[in-house]
Amino acid sequence: MLTPESRTYQAAKAALLAVLIAVTPLTGVLLAQTPPLPGAKKQAEDPMSILYKAAVKSFEEKKYREALEQFEELDAKAVDVELKLKAVLSYQKSLCHFFIKDWPRAESELTAFLEKYPKGTEDFLSDTDNRRGVADLLLIEALSKQSRWELALARLEKIRSSALARPEERVNAFALSAQVIVDRAKSGTDDVKRAAYAQAITLLKQATADGINTPEKRDAAYKLVEMYTKLGLTKEATQLKNEVDARSSGSPVEVVRSNFQRLEIGDARFSAAESAADEAFRGDFYRQALANYQGTLRRANLSSSFGRAIEAKQAEFATLTKNFPKPNPEQAANIEKVTQEITQFKKIQDEFNANKDYDAFISYRIGLCLLELKRNWEAHVAFLDIFENSPGFSRISGAYYYHILALRRIGRNNDAQAKCKEFIAKFPQDDQVSSIALILGDISQEREEYPEAIAHYKWVQANVKNLAPEIAEEIEFRIAACLFSQVDWAPAQKAFEAFLAKYERTPVRQQVLYMSALCSFFQGKYKETKTDFDKYEQEFPKGQFIADVRYRQAIVKFGTTPRDIPGTLKLCEDWLKDNAKNNLDEVIAQVPEVHTLIGDAYIAVADELDKKVKAADIDVRLNARTGDKAKFVEIKTKIEQEKEAVTSKAIDAYEAAAKSARTNPQALEFVLGELRKLLPGRGEHKRMRDLFKEIFDWDHNDPKAMTYLYEVIRSTERMGDMPEFVGEAETVRKKFSDQLAAGRKAVDQLERKPGITQAEIDVAKASVRKLSAELEAELAKVEAKRQTSIADQKTRALKILSDAVAESINDRKQEGTEKLIVFLAEKLARKVKRVKPGVAPEPGAYTSADAEKELVKLLRLEANRNSLVAQARGFFALGQLAVFTREPEKTTANFAKIAANYKAEELNPTILAIVGDSLLAKGDRQKAADYFRYILEHSRSSEYADYGFAGLAEIAFADKKYAEALSLCNEAVDNNILMAKELDIRFIQACALAERSQYKEAHDAFTMIAGTKEWRGEKTAASLYWLGQVAERQATDEKGYSEAIAYYRRCYLTWKKYEVWAAKSYFGAAKLFSTKLNQKDAAKLILQEMLEKDRIKDTREGVEAKAYLLGL
Amino acid sequence: MRSLRLLPAFALLAAAAASAQTFVFKGERWEVNDPFKLDSSVPPKPVIDSKKGVINAIKGTVDRVSNSGGIEVTLTRKLSEVTEVVWPVPSRLAEAQANVSRGEPAKALDNVEAVLKFFEPLKNVPGSWWIKASLVKLDALDRLENDAATVNYLNAFEKEEAAKLPEVATQIQLTRLMLRARKGDHDEVVKEANSLLAKVDTAELQARLHIVKGNSLLATKKYEAAMTAYLRVPVFFGSETELIPKALLGAARSFRGMDSPALRDQKLETVSNRYLYDIIVSFPVSKEAEEAKKMLPMEERAKAEADQKKIAGGGPLPEGVIMAKPKLADEEKVEGNK
Repeated sequence: MLTPESRTYQAAKAALLAVLIAVTPLTGVLLAQTPPLPGAKKQAEDPMSILYKAAVKSFEEKKYREALEQFEELDAKAVDVELKLKAVLSYQKSLCHFFIKDWPRAESELTAFLEKYPKGTEDFLSDTDNRRGVADLLLIEALSKQSRWELALARLEKIRSSALARPEERVNAFALSAQVIVDRAKSGTDDVKRAAYAQAITLLKQATADGINTPEKRDAAYKLVEMYTKLGLTKEATQLKNEVDARSSGSPVEVVRSNFQRLEIGDARFSAAESAADEAFRGDFYRQALANYQGTLRRANLSSSFGRAIEAKQAEFATLTKNFPKPNPEQAANIEKVTQEITQFKKIQDEFNANKDYDAFISYRIGLCLLELKRNWEAHVAFLDIFENSPGFSRISGAYYYHILALRRIGRNNDAQAKCKEFIAKFPQDDQVSSIALILGDISQEREEYPEAIAHYKWVQANVKNLAPEIAEEIEFRIAACLFSQVDWAPAQKAFEAFLAKYERTPVRQQVLYMSALCSFFQGKYKETKTDFDKYEQEFPKGQFIADVRYRQAIVKFGTTPRDIPGTLKLCEDWLKDNAKNNLDEVIAQVPEVHTLIGDAYIAVADELDKKVKAADIDVRLNARTGDKAKFVEIKTKIEQEKEAVTSKAIDAYEAAAKSARTNPQALEFVLGELRKLLPGRGEHKRMRDLFKEIFDWDHNDPKAMTYLYEVIRSTERMGDMPEFVGEAETVRKKFSDQLAAGRKAVDQLERKPGITQAEIDVAKASVRKLSAELEAELAKVEAKRQTSIADQKTRALKILSDAVAESINDRKQEGTEKLIVFLAEKLARKVKRVKPGVAPEPGAYTSADAEKELVKLLRLEANRNSLVAQARGFFALGQLAVFTREPEKTTANFAKIAANYKAEELNPTILAIVGDSLLAKGDRQKAADYFRYILEHSRSSEYADYGFAGLAEIAFADKKYAEALSLCNEAVDNNILMAKELDIRFIQACALAERSQYKEAHDAFTMIAGTKEWRGEKTAASLYWLGQVAERQATDEKGYSEAIAYYRRCYLTWKKYEVWAAKSYFGAAKLFSTKLNQKDAAKLILQEMLEKDRIKDTREGVEAKAYLLGL
Repeated sequence: MRSLRLLPAFALLAAAAASAQTFVFKGERWEVNDPFKLDSSVPPKPVIDSKKGVINAIKGTVDRVSNSGGIEVTLTRKLSEVTEVVWPVPSRLAEAQANVSRGEPAKALDNVEAVLKFFEPLKNVPGSWWIKASLVKLDALDRLENDAATVNYLNAFEKEEAAKLPEVATQIQLTRLMLRARKGDHDEVVKEANSLLAKVDTAELQARLHIVKGNSLLATKKYEAAMTAYLRVPVFFGSETELIPKALLGAARSFRGMDSPALRDQKLETVSNRYLYDIIVSFPVSKEAEEAKKMLPMEERAKAEADQKKIAGGGPLPEGVIMAKPKLADEEKVEGNK
């Protein structure tokens, strides 16, 4: 057979075999039309005929050796027979050799047949085919099998150019030539192979030049598709393939072949994708592979196609046998042909059915393509299909592996871990088990869930029996690393030491030594740390952790008692010098830590100096009245100056740390904390502002950006209140204090001096008053300057805030913008001088109208006139401002403008939620529902998602659509979409349960709400009332009604301030007393008590209760 | 929509340019005029080629004028004598199919009725487009969501011989399933869809069943299960281009439903938006594309529309788009008619 053996698809092989069988019909039935052997004519049971029949039977049963012996025996016995009969026997023997795959003997017999019998088998086997053509082709194949390519090609050349050759033989010759050329190049280089494919394409194009209307030509066309595929000519391959498929007879042979060819094209594209260097090409190739795999028919489809073909053939057979009960040779041949086709189709069907992995392989390939195309959700579904429909898939381990990969990529780590465990449990002996076991813990480790990671690794150690040694080692290391990561220093160190003892030459030795030393370090065992780090430096003087080791050594110096500050500073300075040009990420991230250590060292020095300052201060005080005072003052001043210099150095170091900590958030947080303590106290607000501004500008989308911005604003505002003003005021006070003292003294003296007139005293007093007024005026000037400065800085702060808002005001998706807007509104609201309603503000006072104007200006709404979202944010900002200035009507008006002018899609979840809530409160359910629905459709992961559920549920409940309300609440609760609106959602859920008569669940839900301390308030009151309702609706006897009354009583006794619920409860209890417990007096008392309450008597229930009371 | 009975006609379609509308009678073949081919006059009239047969629908005959020795003879054969129809896809049927995809069921019905009427006398003849037209009508009625009309039509259709064909029978079952889904009988629909999925073999029916199942799961808020049902269509039945937009839209809705603050890291809204983007970019002329535009946030909608225009103008596929195959349109046509 010339079928390439590289493919494993049995059905496709069967299809090719069928072509060969079709040209060599050797059947018992055919014998009926075959003239009997000479000499056997007169005898019904001629031994030669019997032997021939037996030989043919053996051949049919594929007992080729037996058949060969029988044909040889026959050949030996049939001495005096016609030449054509000898030719038949020669031909049959050659076939036996061929199928036994005895290529040399097949070659010799076929050569003999072709040389000795120029007329071949004449009309013995067929009227139109003397089998010379077939013999020629078989000989060529036998030659090919012996790698005698040139001889094979020469023979094929003869057939191709022979005018006597039948057309199908010429086509076959072209196809075989192509195949021989390809086979010949099999062991060649890639270039040789490609040249062979190109040559084969030329030949196959000639074979199909006149169309593809015969089976042979279609066969050649299929081969041409294969060659195109191999040369990467996908477009040509696909076009030709579609043409061939369109002309397909629909026979199972062709269907199977076409199908597998599609798979082959897919495989070729997949391989091309894997080796493609260009990313764009790679994507295209994977897409093409995917399209081919998707176009491949599935088992059900193929099976059904086989079934239909078999049915059709069986019907044809039935018709033929019915129409021709006594068939002539031609009819008999037709019947036989159909019989053979039925057998052949069934064989293909059986072989196909035996291939249980067929569908799974397609899903597997599709999954791989999708993974490569980064369509991870689709890949997840493709692999899921394998687990659901082909759990016995032979490559199931691969499917698990890639499915786990897909799950990880879509962020489903828990599912991925469950899949890992499932795999390990199901296939403990599989080769993949080790790597999957590792993934199991790796997922938790990656998510920094160390206890889980350790548990997973330990589970693997306990449950996986055939762990590869290197994986076992890695798992032990990972467990130690997890202990280390979860700061269990002592157990981690123990684990590292045990690990090193067990795996002395481990590839992670350097890391283990380093981490073990760190364990000592973090336990504060500095002596051991030094020893451990020394060991590391000795073993790995240029190791990957050397920078960190040197830094830690510096810390050790700093941490030992007494502190070695100069040593610490020296090590740090050296570290910075040596690593100034080191661009490794971990080194860059360590720079701020080194600076911080320098800062810490200087602060330690400053602390020491502070003690000295305190001591010097005591000395100064003790010597206040001695002559040494000046000396001690000088000492103290000197130490203070020293302390100031050192603190200043510490601040410089911290600032350097902060500025270099962009990639080290932990260091940044620490150092900013230190600077927050130091800078404001020293009045260095500008420095503080500049630093935080720089950090804020690194990334405005950083989660901490808002915090940095707040600091910028605060520092800017503080910058206005400069220390100079204090000094200036002090100078003024000093200047006036002497004059005032002198003036007052003069007045005092005058008053005591006899004979001084009142007028003289008044003059002196007036002089003092004048001085005092002058002082006040001077101080007022200073204060005015100070206030101006503060106002300037506040304006500047607002400008910074305004800049930050303006940057994202046009970006609908920036949810942080609303937070900034609220912050800005709050700042402006604080400036407003609030007055009581109806009172006119003082002239020139900053009013809420001014705040509104300023807000509009700061939001730059004029400049963003064309931006829908910016304008909406403007209304939102004004609404929020009104919240802070306590002007609810303005809030409502501004939110109403949003509702009137904006579609939900033009707003973001924050505005939708807040405005939606406001609309709902005002009764505009339709618009509110639009907004809430939009949140549910688009922003379920936003922090305002629960507004959507709560709002829609409330609307559904109000519309008495209890099932819908319940469904919404359940969905929110089940998916844990419960933030600010959790209480509302749980309350509506409970109410809906009650309305749907699910009393048990409703009771539990209300009890939970009423019992939750954090939720104490109106909903507690409401829940108590509803608990009463639930009890009342279920009550059938006195006990039941009493229970309801108890809840009502708890409500109105405890929660009078929520008049609506208290009123309902009062009235509910009274009605039960009156109607169910026959205690009208008790009912009257309750109603009277109820109607005495001012807040309650005017409620709806109050009005009803009044009427009810009259009827009692 | 394809069925086995249509295979001969589909196969012939591959050589559509070469094959004219032909009726095969016992022993002879007559080329006939295509009644759906109209000239450019106002109002348009059918194009008549005098050498070809003319169908007389009222009489149920085909008439052909033969010129023999200068004498014109009109030959007449009954439509009931036709043994095979060789007919490329009627333009109005193709248009009807496109109407369904575009969400224009009324127009689809208008177009398909003409085809049904024409092929009515030939409905059981191999190569007839009657069954295909009937199935398109079912699709159109489904889009119209006119349950009463659908039920009436199904009842009548079930009595036809064609309804016994396994695939047509399944299609009818499927339509009934969709009717039940509209009535809210979702749990039963899912159960029955699962049972049918194990039985049907064609890719198209499998894909349709997955969509029906997905719809019911989505309606009952089983978002995860709905998502896997919908996604099976683009994953395994990528060549069923008519159904892909529906499946993608369903998947997008499922992802939206699955989303929650706890799953924020999975960026399910982004995933959902990507499917909506795919629909707009890859299937711009579909009802689902219009829906997708409504669901997609404004900014992304604008981008999707711009990208779609670029692709339509021959630009490269944006990263991650795997559905749009403008360059393979011709191949799909051949493939689709296999």
